[in-house]
Amino acid sequence: MKILYKGLIIIILLVTFSACKKQWLERTPQNIITDAQLWGDPNMITGLLANYYERLPTDMGLDGNWRNMADYDDAMWSGYSGEDGRSNLTYSTGRWQLWDYGLIRDINKAIENIATYSPKGTPLQIATNAQFTAELRFVRAYQYFELVKREGGVPIVTKQLIYDYSGDASPLRNARNKESEVYDFIATEMDAVKDVIGNISGTGVPSQTRANKYTCLALKCRAMLYAGSLAKYNNLMAVPITTTGAEVGIPASMATGYYTKALQAAQDIINSGVYTLYNSTPDKGQNFYDAVCKKGVTNKEVIMARDFLSAKAKRHGFSYDNIARSIREDNLGSSCITPVLNFVEAFDYLDGTPGTLKIRTADNSDYIYYTNMADVFANKDNRLFGSVITPGSTFKGLNVDIQAGVKTWNSVTSSYTTLTSSTLGSTHTDGKLLTGAGGPHASIQEVSNTGFYLKKFVDQGAGTSTRGILSDVWWVRYRLGEIYLNATEAALELGQTSVALPYINAIRQRAGFPANSLDATTLTIDKLRNERRLELAFEDHRVWDLKRWRIADKIWTGSATNPDDVLYALYPYRIIRPGDPLRDGKYVFEKIKAPRFVLPRNFQMNNYYSTIPQSAIDNNPLIVKNPFQ
Amino acid sequence: MGKKYILEKFSPNFSVKQLFRIKRLTTLVLFLGVWLICTNSVYADNSGVDLKGNTVKITNLINSNNLLPAPVTGVVTDSKGTTLPGVTVRVRGTNKATITNAEGKFTIDVTNNQSVLVFSCMGYRSETIVVGTQKTLTVAMLDEVKALDEVVVVGYGTQKRGSITGAVSSVKSDELVKSSSVAATSALVGKVAGITARSYDSRPGNGTSIQIRNMGNPLYVIDGVPYSTNDGTSSFGFNTDISGQSVFNQLGLEDIESVSILKDASASVYGLRASNGVVLVTTKKGGRTEQPSINVNGYYGVQNFTRYYDVANAGQYVTALVQSNQNRGQTPAYTKEEVAKWVAGTEPGYQNNDYKKIMLRPNVPQSYISVNATGGSARTNYYFSVSNLNQDAVLKDFTFNRTNIQSNISTKLAKGLTIGTQISGRIEKRHNVGVPGLDDYFNPLLSISSMWPTETMYANNNPLYINQTHNVNVNPATYTDQITGWCDDVTRALNVNLNAQYDFNFGLTAKGIYSYNFTNEDFNGFEYIWPAYIYNAATDTYADRPIGGAPYGNQNPWREIHKNNIVSRFAQFQLNYTKQLGNHNISAVAAYERSDMENYYVAVHTIPPTNYIPTMLFANQDYLGYSWVTEARAGYTGRANYSYKQKYLLEVLGRYDGSYLYRSDKRWGFFPGASIGWRMSEEPFFKNLVGNAVSNLKLRASYGVTGSESGLNAFDYLPGYNYPSGSAVFDGTYVIGLQPKGTLPVTNLTWVKNQSANIGIDFTVMGDKLTGQFDVFNRKKTGMPAARYDVLLPSEVGYSLPNENLNSEATRGIEGQLTYSNKSGVVDYTIGVNATLARRRDLTQYKPRFGNSWDRYRSAYVDRWGSIDWGYQVIGQFQTQAQIDAYTINNDGKNNTTELPGDYIFKDQNGDGVINTLDNRPIGYAEGAQPYMSFGLAGSLTYKGITLSFSFAGATMQSFRRNVELKVPFQNNGNSADYMLADVWHHADPYDITSPWIPGTYPALRKDVSTVNTSTSDIWITNINYFRLKNLEIGYNIPQKLLKKAGISKLRVYANGSNLFSFDNMKKIGIDPEIASQGGLIYPQQSLINIGFNLSL
Repeated sequence: MKILYKGLIIIILLVTFSACKKQWLERTPQNIITDAQLWGDPNMITGLLANYYERLPTDMGLDGNWRNMADYDDAMWSGYSGEDGRSNLTYSTGRWQLWDYGLIRDINKAIENIATYSPKGTPLQIATNAQFTAELRFVRAYQYFELVKREGGVPIVTKQLIYDYSGDASPLRNARNKESEVYDFIATEMDAVKDVIGNISGTGVPSQTRANKYTCLALKCRAMLYAGSLAKYNNLMAVPITTTGAEVGIPASMATGYYTKALQAAQDIINSGVYTLYNSTPDKGQNFYDAVCKKGVTNKEVIMARDFLSAKAKRHGFSYDNIARSIREDNLGSSCITPVLNFVEAFDYLDGTPGTLKIRTADNSDYIYYTNMADVFANKDNRLFGSVITPGSTFKGLNVDIQAGVKTWNSVTSSYTTLTSSTLGSTHTDGKLLTGAGGPHASIQEVSNTGFYLKKFVDQGAGTSTRGILSDVWWVRYRLGEIYLNATEAALELGQTSVALPYINAIRQRAGFPANSLDATTLTIDKLRNERRLELAFEDHRVWDLKRWRIADKIWTGSATNPDDVLYALYPYRIIRPGDPLRDGKYVFEKIKAPRFVLPRNFQMNNYYSTIPQSAIDNNPLIVKNPFQ
Repeated sequence: MGKKYILEKFSPNFSVKQLFRIKRLTTLVLFLGVWLICTNSVYADNSGVDLKGNTVKITNLINSNNLLPAPVTGVVTDSKGTTLPGVTVRVRGTNKATITNAEGKFTIDVTNNQSVLVFSCMGYRSETIVVGTQKTLTVAMLDEVKALDEVVVVGYGTQKRGSITGAVSSVKSDELVKSSSVAATSALVGKVAGITARSYDSRPGNGTSIQIRNMGNPLYVIDGVPYSTNDGTSSFGFNTDISGQSVFNQLGLEDIESVSILKDASASVYGLRASNGVVLVTTKKGGRTEQPSINVNGYYGVQNFTRYYDVANAGQYVTALVQSNQNRGQTPAYTKEEVAKWVAGTEPGYQNNDYKKIMLRPNVPQSYISVNATGGSARTNYYFSVSNLNQDAVLKDFTFNRTNIQSNISTKLAKGLTIGTQISGRIEKRHNVGVPGLDDYFNPLLSISSMWPTETMYANNNPLYINQTHNVNVNPATYTDQITGWCDDVTRALNVNLNAQYDFNFGLTAKGIYSYNFTNEDFNGFEYIWPAYIYNAATDTYADRPIGGAPYGNQNPWREIHKNNIVSRFAQFQLNYTKQLGNHNISAVAAYERSDMENYYVAVHTIPPTNYIPTMLFANQDYLGYSWVTEARAGYTGRANYSYKQKYLLEVLGRYDGSYLYRSDKRWGFFPGASIGWRMSEEPFFKNLVGNAVSNLKLRASYGVTGSESGLNAFDYLPGYNYPSGSAVFDGTYVIGLQPKGTLPVTNLTWVKNQSANIGIDFTVMGDKLTGQFDVFNRKKTGMPAARYDVLLPSEVGYSLPNENLNSEATRGIEGQLTYSNKSGVVDYTIGVNATLARRRDLTQYKPRFGNSWDRYRSAYVDRWGSIDWGYQVIGQFQTQAQIDAYTINNDGKNNTTELPGDYIFKDQNGDGVINTLDNRPIGYAEGAQPYMSFGLAGSLTYKGITLSFSFAGATMQSFRRNVELKVPFQNNGNSADYMLADVWHHADPYDITSPWIPGTYPALRKDVSTVNTSTSDIWITNINYFRLKNLEIGYNIPQKLLKKAGISKLRVYANGSNLFSFDNMKKIGIDPEIASQGGLIYPQQSLINIGFNLSL
């Protein structure tokens, strides 16, 4: 018996530990791909590119830092009260800071590994690898553009910097290149790859989401325009911003060359005939919205976009966060970015007169009374209606319901008594609307405090403002509208007004202006700059434009008396004045300082170039600081 | 031959396995008892051996010496009044002795009235009584709680309390169950020295965060099986992982026999994960040759929040709004007449809505029932139990329910061979209302402070119409299963331990354990769409949307199911050797073990087209989630003990441990430990010196090394690309991304080394009445991960060097415990105190760099106490505008242009005339962390079967930061705590700016404007102290006379209260002192009042 039991114990122990393999602690991960698995597989390399494209930075976007849209002078924050700091902006010296060499390193690693690992052989593989390499170089140049426009000249690193654990990392140090050298690098890279990069279908339709010849030209065009304006306007400043090594500061003499390249690149795109300004929707406001937001190859205006796809759960909450309050489908969110009156009034009337709204009589003695709220915006540049939801208009076929309150005539005092409610959608004692379900309201969060709502990039699809469904509107990186304006600006700066005019007039004509609405006398650089503000609003251009023109510090002065600095709201009221049929039941408008707005935008000289991270300076003594840092 | 009868008390705290390890003599007695059973073939017979209940009663063994002429009779009971059989009664200085019978009665002859009777019984304190003139004596014996022969579970075995050399505390079952806690961690609070506790979030089913000596999350070992320290909280606020803490928390409280806490080098036997101490849990086993007993325990109680602040009523709210308008120079939001109506609160449409009252139900039930059967035959012992716990939340439709089963059985198959299983299972059910957002418990609390007291939850107060309030997301009218939907989270876990043991006849035991644990979490949630309305009084209609607009309410439905399937396995082979050679006691343990864990997570999410059908369809699917986690470890461990005459004690232990986290060449490490003890009280010279005043005095010292896996994740040692990482849509097609790893493979980093040193003293003095234990400790952590930044890798390389083991810190402290037991007349009492002070000190930092001396002062970590809270010191409040105008220090950074009377004046520490971050000074301890000092006080009083027991727990040296709801008036455009709106500086007349200022506690209100008053300062940082009555219980043992006829051996009824009151400094803020949530929006602890019973058949 005893022997039997001892045997039994031994058997039990053997069974228990029979799986006692030596590799017990050696587990196989489920989420790591090796180099060998990656470089032989074009699908995997495409996945790598997917990651790299998505890491390209923006100052605005749809799924991350879109809140920055409320930080300039086109819109005001109406969302969560915890972010009221956006109403009080002195830009920090580290704002727009970017020193992301992780992406540069990953791209360099990929370029080198394609050469090392990929199977040598068939012409198809060689062509594929060449195309991937070209595409990686595009992404790298794009990243360098993002770096140089924020920080000035940065070290151009095109090879992996590999540390050998020797304890001495000094061989890995690179000094900053000149600002101009980075722009030149972008131009030469794009010239080098644009004809091998591919991504154009057999029928000649270029990809709208991956780099191709035209995206190369678009990047080059924008970069050269920036370089040209930096060369010109920096040197027109009282004290140009420069460093001795020209890491910051481009000689004025280089301006013409850059503008010429910008114009040439723009014309290469325009003259290719591949793209056309979108002009398919009869309603010109809606047409402008569609020109940006309508996805797919039927929109021949968009050159490159960052796309989303709800069916694959690739989506963003931009519509959830920014849908007008009164038509939101979720019980949270909405209304964060709300355009301001300053922006609305920047849109001219189609007859060419300035866009100031007519809300008071000429002698300022009384309101102007409108039967419909929309009437006050009649005959404005239609891009307004593609970008902004104005009082009295609809979105997704629904009434946006904007009304601040009612004004009741007091015949004794001969004045109006204003009544508003903190209940959105409340009714007055007369049974009609008191305060609209869409506000505006001075202090409630997630309802407009400016009287306007954002339309551009907000999804028109059902359910897209819910957290469950979300939106897949795309984010436009380059579109033909910008290229036209780039061409206009470059030509104008080169003194070629006659070259400039057709481009800008085409843009304006699409917005509802008559043909040739500008001529050589009315097309000024200021006019062009305002066109860029209107056409490209919320597409991540405004702050960069103001910086490269070196006027940001003049517009956002931090002065409460500077009308450019102070953000305004427009509050509509319903009039109750029985016995006065000309006024009773009509609508009037009040212009007020946006109520959640506290202190004026304040852009200082040290904001033109962001500080370089202290860690980058500590880590590499060759990195010189930016001016004012 | 002077043979003594030593009778062991068979408390359920002794497993049979442990019993065999007790002195051989004990075993002999046991066998004697068994022999008696066999020869007499009588159970529960007064004339024989009664194995009923917990006490071996041996009667009539000595009854032949009945000849002397002066008999004394008497009854011996325990402290609860139950009669005690088997107590030895001796006449001092003679050989005369007897033993009490089954009724606890005895008769003994004495020679004169100066005779002294000595009563002794294992497990009880000896009693000495002078006979005097009494002929009938009643003697109550006190429990010997801290008896040196108490068996304590330690790593890989058990030891007698007297021979332990490490810092080990233990808690027994009966102390745990007194707390009526839902979770086992909560039951430990205040009970033992060395444990710090904080209840951050006490939603139903949650436990308390406990740490040993503030060292971090401990390792939990349950019935010999270590569990993961991976402590993840899943989404929706459920914590259903299988970290050891969760498994421990969700054990049936009645099923736990004992909990031991290894605090010093004694933990080294657990190696790589033991640096934060080890919690050893043993479940009940039943005693061999123990008559079956069936125990039923139950209680029913009602719970209320310990504390939750009141929000302003409508009158206070509108008054505050108007004051804010005045302070900001705005038009008043309400007219004087309207404010008066709201203050009166009587006119329809102007009545207050008390959302605290609406949200928080009073007296919600909590109930518990447990049935267990335990006992054993000569070969087999068993413990079976089933229990059920029900806890409702004070929020309607939020519930927690748990069912536990435990089945422990062990049997001797043959001589020397024992096999057994321990099977435990549980089902945890949590039901929440599916309110929008992620954490369903947060929103209802947010409602209290967000809803305006001026708005109703139903439009026109008509319960058919949910009101579209200013923030309908927090309208409590929607918080029901029927309206907003529901979430069910069910965790089902089954743990099977199989073990076999062979005892060789020369002191060697071989043992194998295999454990398989399967835990499944099923989440099932459905959030509905629902309408809301605005009432139009003029037309008496309810609008469900603005004219031409989108519907009010919520149109965001979702449906989700997700699952965690977790398998963890553990196998161990162990050898034990025990030998006594004369005065030399030797024991040794060696073991090999290994374990792994795999967790698969799958989630499916759809957008349901209706509220009515929970079936999920592919057509509606919009998300699929998957994740996988694994762990694997192995280790060799050993321990050897040597003692000479039970006087000089030595323990040496060590572990060679390996973890999957490290690359194969850096995977294994050795963790040794040693401890020594000297029982000074056993020395003859000591006895001569102090006599009987000190019955036990032991000095202990220990030193050991443990590891902690810190600073890296699984597979960090591998190069390659993370997949998936990011994604893009290329030409309409979705492409999954991958990304190169951002740091180089982690090959230089190894575990953090922890050196624990401990010096302790144990003593028993005052005739065994006072026992105590004090320890001083220091755990030094070296090799904490940090970057080696003197190799200045340029940022432009685009990657970072992996962390290396560079920094060090220490956790230092002192702890102690004192217990005093005595009786005064017929009242027995025990009182114990314990306290722990433990704090981190940062020792070295790898080549710290500072920009300037301020930076060094503010940021240095070297040789400084850890977790210092910094902020301004407030030196007063501005009293008048004139004072502000004349004030020369720039208090607000804007030349005091934003200041109003009542605003805080900050101390200009550096005297530079401006208040900025340079004026920050230390103003507090760690926020949201365990308190540096914890203490407890527990006691009990017994009088004739009535027992009153209580325990207090307290803490100090911890900081709470008020923020958001507790700092910003009208936070989130909502309401605020009443004191924040009513007790403020304000003008006497809110419509007259020239009226005088009336002082208040808080600054003048300025809604929607952030002022300098909200800067971090000692106004908003409170250093919390509390001392709370954790538990108060009064119990009564129904006299056995009454029970006998019903066949009941024991029935106890009790009333119990938890968290009934506290002394603390958070009352003025209105929050429980243990929460950490800065806005106070967290489920605080409950005060629980219950009645219950313990019944044994």
